Amino acid sequence: MALEKVLVSTVMQPRLTQVFRFVRCSYADGVAELVYAFDDGEELVERIRFPQAPTAPAQHASAFDAALKLLHLIAGVSYYKAGIPPKIDVATGPLDEATAELLDQLYLHGLAEFAYRNGLDLRGRIAFPRGGTAPSVAKAAGLPKRTLVPIGGGKDSLVAVEAIKAIGGEATAVWVGNSALIAACAERTGLPTLNIQRELAPELFELNRLGAWNGHIPVTAVNSAILAVAAILYGYDSITFANERSASAATLEYEGQQVNHQWSKGYAFEQLLGDWLHTHVASDLDYCSLLRPYSELAITRAFAKLTPYFDVFSSCNRNFRILGPKPADRWCGQCPKCHFVFLALGPFLPKPRLLSIFGRNLLDDENQAAGFDALLEYQDHKPFECVGEGAEARAAMYALSQRPEWQEDALIERFRSEILPQLDPAQLALEPWLEPSAEQRVPARLQPALKTIG
Amino acid sequence: MPVTPPNSVPLPADAPWIVMKFGGTSVATLPRWQNIRELVASRRAEGARVLVVVSALTGITDALKQVCGEGDQDKRKAAAGAIAQRHYDLLEHMQLALPDTLGARLTDLAQLAAQGAVVHGELAWTAKVQAHGELMSSALGAAFLSHSGLPTQWLDARECLAAVALPNQNERTRLLSAMVEAKPDPALNAQLATLGEVFITQGFIARESEGRTVLLGRGGSDTSAAYFGALLKATRVEIWTDVAGMFTANPRQVPGARLLQRLDYEEAQEIASTGAKVLHPRCLSPLREPRVPLLIKDTNRPELDGTVIGPEVRAHAPSVKAISARKGITLVSMESVGMWQQVGFLADVFAQFKRHGLSVDLIGSAETNVTVSLDPTENLLDSDAIAALASDLAKVCRVKVIAPCAAITLVGRGMRSLLHTLSGVLAEFGQLRVHLISQSSNNLNLTFVVDEEVVDSLLPHLHDLLIAAGALRTDDSALFGPSWQTLYGSGDMVDAPAAWWRESQREHLLKLAVEATPRYVYHLPTVRQQARELKTLAAVDRLHYAVKANTHPAILRALAEEGFGFECVSPGELKAVSAVVPEAAPLLFTPNFAPREDYARALDTRATVSLDALYPLEHWGELFRGREIVLRVDLGRGLGHHEKVRTGGSGSKFGLPVELIDAFLRLADAHGVIVRGLHAHLGSGILDDAHWGEVYGQLASLAERIGSVSFIDIGGGLGVPSHPGEARLDVAALDRVLREVKAAYPHYQLWMEPGRYLVADAGVLLARVTQQKGKGAFRYLGIDTGMNSLIRPALYEAWHEIVNLTRLDEPATALYQVVGPICESGDVLGTDRRLPEAQEGDVILIAQAGAYGKVMSSHYNLRDEADEIVIE
Repeated sequence: MALEKVLVSTVMQPRLTQVFRFVRCSYADGVAELVYAFDDGEELVERIRFPQAPTAPAQHASAFDAALKLLHLIAGVSYYKAGIPPKIDVATGPLDEATAELLDQLYLHGLAEFAYRNGLDLRGRIAFPRGGTAPSVAKAAGLPKRTLVPIGGGKDSLVAVEAIKAIGGEATAVWVGNSALIAACAERTGLPTLNIQRELAPELFELNRLGAWNGHIPVTAVNSAILAVAAILYGYDSITFANERSASAATLEYEGQQVNHQWSKGYAFEQLLGDWLHTHVASDLDYCSLLRPYSELAITRAFAKLTPYFDVFSSCNRNFRILGPKPADRWCGQCPKCHFVFLALGPFLPKPRLLSIFGRNLLDDENQAAGFDALLEYQDHKPFECVGEGAEARAAMYALSQRPEWQEDALIERFRSEILPQLDPAQLALEPWLEPSAEQRVPARLQPALKTIG
Repeated sequence: MPVTPPNSVPLPADAPWIVMKFGGTSVATLPRWQNIRELVASRRAEGARVLVVVSALTGITDALKQVCGEGDQDKRKAAAGAIAQRHYDLLEHMQLALPDTLGARLTDLAQLAAQGAVVHGELAWTAKVQAHGELMSSALGAAFLSHSGLPTQWLDARECLAAVALPNQNERTRLLSAMVEAKPDPALNAQLATLGEVFITQGFIARESEGRTVLLGRGGSDTSAAYFGALLKATRVEIWTDVAGMFTANPRQVPGARLLQRLDYEEAQEIASTGAKVLHPRCLSPLREPRVPLLIKDTNRPELDGTVIGPEVRAHAPSVKAISARKGITLVSMESVGMWQQVGFLADVFAQFKRHGLSVDLIGSAETNVTVSLDPTENLLDSDAIAALASDLAKVCRVKVIAPCAAITLVGRGMRSLLHTLSGVLAEFGQLRVHLISQSSNNLNLTFVVDEEVVDSLLPHLHDLLIAAGALRTDDSALFGPSWQTLYGSGDMVDAPAAWWRESQREHLLKLAVEATPRYVYHLPTVRQQARELKTLAAVDRLHYAVKANTHPAILRALAEEGFGFECVSPGELKAVSAVVPEAAPLLFTPNFAPREDYARALDTRATVSLDALYPLEHWGELFRGREIVLRVDLGRGLGHHEKVRTGGSGSKFGLPVELIDAFLRLADAHGVIVRGLHAHLGSGILDDAHWGEVYGQLASLAERIGSVSFIDIGGGLGVPSHPGEARLDVAALDRVLREVKAAYPHYQLWMEPGRYLVADAGVLLARVTQQKGKGAFRYLGIDTGMNSLIRPALYEAWHEIVNLTRLDEPATALYQVVGPICESGDVLGTDRRLPEAQEGDVILIAQAGAYGKVMSSHYNLRDEADEIVIE
């Protein structure tokens, strides 16, 4: 197929659409089909494939249907954002208050970065139809006492895995989509694995080509909804993400609105979804983050002890679909994730070991100055990535600046001479960051795992 | 089993000795032993006494180590039983009964395993246990060889090799890494001569003054063979292994590495110490004084010459012999004015390294700085040794810890006399962060310590540069053998067919040259053949010919017929192409720092336009409104030859740095410009297929952030080998790499822009001999055109094959500098070329002139330009 000039005038212009429609959803033979449409345009069909296809469990039919419906509503964010039309229509009728509120919040805050980047204001634009009758409060489904642990290939989920392994908890490492990196990490955990496939509607690529709005979506929310369906389908009583404390902090404020790159990893969403699952799906299905009380630094400290993962994990946000043996095949060395993980591991690992993980010394490379400045919130705002708070980065940088083996590296030297004099050393201690906070919703069964981390 | 006829004539008492050493895999199976038997018999047939030195069966030494580490007696006994079983199995294959010699060894081992360390003491017991691997394999070998018609005496190595106690040894090193002083011993020689003609003994073991068994440590079997070679003053020591010898580089990193056929002891030891694994460096020193040569041979390919290591090789031009890399190196740089003329400063500093258990390797120093390197160890990685060292050093100087680094070492005798040939190599290092350069007084090496991340792609490139610069004289066939790829590469390697000009068109070319010279001749069948080869790349959706390589209308037409698109970099090229190719042929416009009006003109054609800077959108955004464009990015470091532009891509004027992509996209959005394609260009002359996969994968991962992208353009730069024997680009392997990436990113089309690959081999430059001149040792061969027609040798130090077409079949006895008539000292087309003695008027052909030849030619000196002839 050769590339020809696309004639845009005769086909849909996504940005001019009027209605986004949730058409229908279904599940059969291990495949969930989620169907959407703009205006009266062609249907956009997303497919989610659950391996070793169990049939929908008859005894939990209402729980399964509720979870599937929520998945349909949440996964729609990938398509809705292509046109952000003024009206949202749900074919099965208006939603109950709690459901509509969850979705309004998710679409507004989860797309806040998208809106900021595209110069849009979504406030007042997102309104799911509400007024439907709330279903009766869900009962316990008698789910088996085992946990779905999503694996992302980065350090956080591996810390969560090891915490659950440490208390002898039964768990399965689960991930959505194709990623050789995640597969390698999942295999290294030694846990049973579950790989769910998500196929975006191919028409979405066409919409992008036709000039659709594009940008960041709250993908953790979509994955959470997929795992809620999986929990009912395969039988798990808990889904434990590895979202840490700083995920709740806003990246910036823009015209009065908080913009948080990782809103769906934050505590607000965890509470909304956790409560909703209890009332609408099953009272014994827990959704939580095992790392919620901990700072990034506390988690990197825990991860620094997990040597067997050093040559397989990566937190880099460049999607390496082809894995190679070299550090550069897993760490681009240029993105905020690379910068942050490098910096945060620094205080907890011998320098040669840290450098062997990344294959280079990012803190001795003047070209990375702007990237580290952004982490420190020096002359810039926090980057749009899942990285720690500025004060946390400053504490890690300060700790390294006090170590003789780091002091002369270009960016540490710069920190000492240029940035440190402007900071209050009393605010730079590492230790306070290692203390857990109280905020968490970890179920009783997994509380001992929580304690192994700090 | 073939049996060599018995040697009717017994050997004289003073018959020479050959020592042959076989490693663990070579002694582990019956077919391998049959092979050994043939080799030994052939040496005996040369009229030599043969001493065979063997390692333990493969895996047995490790199994014995496990016995030593096992605390539980039953488990030790079981392990010893399993070890015995391995030997019984092999005996059964050989259809041999258990020989008494082996039976005694197995009994000993069972007893040692049952006893544990208590009787002999931990270290002595360990040595005794581990010595059994070789004792058993040699006993088994003696039985097999004798049984198969080659009477073989079993010799206990401990009776011959006496370990010496050295002052720096402790009990552990005395017993487990012992040293032997081996001097020629005529008495032993005479005694053995009375015992027989073929002997077998053990590698790895010796005996110390108290009579205890000791081990020789790492590389022990090779070292044993060397000791025996020295004791017996052998004709040679042969190390039989799984590769034909030492290579000019690690073949895993540089498949084009060449076999080193001759080395002197010092060079070989240096190469072995800096990376080559085939030989342990310590096994050469016993041979140096008695001047016993060592030969490395491939057990599976005995017909290959192998590497001969002997006394200094004379009568050869100095040459770099090898390039190696050691990774995982940590540097400690210490800076202080305190060290200047301070007695004892360095002693204090080095005492700290000793205190923290860190061993120093390379040292570089200036008046106020000392930088040292530490070799990689697990201790270094996981302990706080570096932090503690830095803390202590920080009290007396400023410390900087630089890691991870790699040491790249060039090895060759007389390195300093080669420096002038290394300018290209040094320029390459000039683009990198070089942390340390070291050259010791033995003048054998030159080491550069650089960032580890650049090494994998740098090494093959440096190897090529060394050859191109004439520093690694692969043209000297006495020193350099075939490439590793030729010897061991995947079976796909086919000999390149003879060039078109060498056979089928030779007479035609001679006639054309008689009509007029200088003259370019293009062979269209070769262009088509190259085009069709690239069309086999199933992963590639569209190929564009980069017309800058050669804009001859016949070539453009031929490639249009083959379905190629055309990549142009100027309005002139667009015009030339449009005048020749059909309307339907796709066009790309990929300029660099072009003026606004160039874009305006290109946008009026059907060409797809590339941008590689923010400027055009910042300043001429309206020009591009509503257009679809291609964004050319500079992937910067981490990629192939771009590694060298480490300073944020500032070394290259091409491409938008990755960190500016977001800014570009915002500008594009503001002007309604749609980024349809993402493009990066690797560089040129790339022969390693893996690089393409890397660029493609990285571009695709970037493209995922940009919704509008529908194709990835990985540019051109497909390498064309110029030196004889160099491997061609493996198109099938490239296709596999590309398909693998495509499978991960099926939603993007893949485009390429080959240029030189299509046309280089299709063109030659014909010239005629004008004059000759002798000047000192140099002989100059003048021809009637030079850099005015072909500037690549002067501009890029490019190497073009040059032949005397008039005398193609005559022996190449003269060594010429081939020069043109231009008044520039750089007007040299080829240096040190072996050619037949030439005469005025002879036709000289310069090959691979189809790309960047005519298009880069000039009227300099107001000489007439070469004309162009096309062979359909």
